[in-house]
Amino acid sequence: MVVIDYELKKKIMDVHIKDALKFCYQCNRCTDNCPISSIAPIRYDPRMLILASFLGFKERIFDSEDNFRLWGCTVCDTCDEVCPQKIELTEIFAILKNMSVAMGQGPPYYTTQATAIYENGKAIPSQPAIERRREQLGLPKIEPPNVEEVQKILNQTKLNKIIGK
Amino acid sequence: MAKAEEYKMFQGCTIGNRIPFIEASARKVFEKLGIKTSEAPFACCPDPVGFNSVDHFSWLAMGARNLTIAEEEGKDIISLCNGCSQTLKVVNHELKHDDSLKSKINEVLKKINREFKGTINVKHFLEVLHEVGAEEIKKHIVKDLSGLKVACHTGCHYSRPSEILQVDDPMEPKKLREVVAATGAIPVDYEEEMLCCGAGVGNTEEAPSMQILANKLKSAIDAGAEAFVVICPACFQQLDTNQKKAGAQSNNTFNIPILYLTELLALSFGINPDEIGLKFHRAKLTPLLEKLGLK
Repeated sequence: MVVIDYELKKKIMDVHIKDALKFCYQCNRCTDNCPISSIAPIRYDPRMLILASFLGFKERIFDSEDNFRLWGCTVCDTCDEVCPQKIELTEIFAILKNMSVAMGQGPPYYTTQATAIYENGKAIPSQPAIERRREQLGLPKIEPPNVEEVQKILNQTKLNKIIGK
Repeated sequence: MAKAEEYKMFQGCTIGNRIPFIEASARKVFEKLGIKTSEAPFACCPDPVGFNSVDHFSWLAMGARNLTIAEEEGKDIISLCNGCSQTLKVVNHELKHDDSLKSKINEVLKKINREFKGTINVKHFLEVLHEVGAEEIKKHIVKDLSGLKVACHTGCHYSRPSEILQVDDPMEPKKLREVVAATGAIPVDYEEEMLCCGAGVGNTEEAPSMQILANKLKSAIDAGAEAFVVICPACFQQLDTNQKKAGAQSNNTFNIPILYLTELLALSFGINPDEIGLKFHRAKLTPLLEKLGLK
């Protein structure tokens, strides 16, 4: 039995995408041009993801057994470019990924990076060895970001809750 | 010539804190071409693939905060990275064109006494080099690279989403080819020129990422490319460090040099390869440099 999640449907239809999604007529151009679908057609299919979002078929998107269904997207934005209805698929997938992370289904890489940004202001923090190399290459010191400001705004947006800080 | 008097340098986390030799080549090339930059305490852009997938609103707020740092000085940003330039351009665009979103973000920024105003622009360094133009670039060339066949790889986030970024043709980009051609090098036509490097999916699973990379490398090598030219540090790292893995997975042996556009220009401007740390590349450049008479 297919379970329709009206909350999901509403969120996807309402937030961020200005209703463009409803103009999808399932032409399959996104999937035809997707570099991931071409090598893993069963596991990743952007057209199906859009259909499932449109209809609120939560289980088709958030598969606890195989998160590749959603996270197989390599974020190349090709689907956005080829869509005849100008649907920003990648933007919709970002919202779905946000939900997936909130459910604890996202690949560890993502929360690890977000934690690094929260703690250091940078995805890749400065290291003494690289600082020496910069000096050898005649490069100026990188001005450190204001981590206190970063944490204040990320607490305000509740990112701290998402990454358990 | 570039219109802005001085840009705020946005080297990004990967170039600044992992592969700074690319920044060295960029700074030397900018100096020759009269592109002035200065520093600012920017945080992570943040990553349009990583951080935006965790929380879109936090991504907007962090991007907006960086923009306010440049706004304080009234200077445009020059980015050395596709990812940073995509984030900063998209956030800038979204907030400039959506007043309700702008006030939500400014509500957050108020906590740190900042306000997004929308008074500056963001440029990818390729756009700036292209504005400088082939004629000006040619004036600085002391080492003619004529005959060197290269595969141009712009990467995805340089020009997409094209409706917002509007820098180049998103499916058939021209600017990289034009700047490369100014050095005498020949951009080859190869079937997989628009294929993603595969770094994004690599955060989820390695095998598909290596498969995409192998397809990309093979297509360029089959077309006669002797090196790749790239403009994004994520693509650079994927192409430069993963050739062995991609080869093992696809029964190929890859060993093709990967040059950042600013490295190619630096070599043609007669800058010593040691000064820009070319030895830190994983796919070795020595045979290429010897062929070019630079070693």
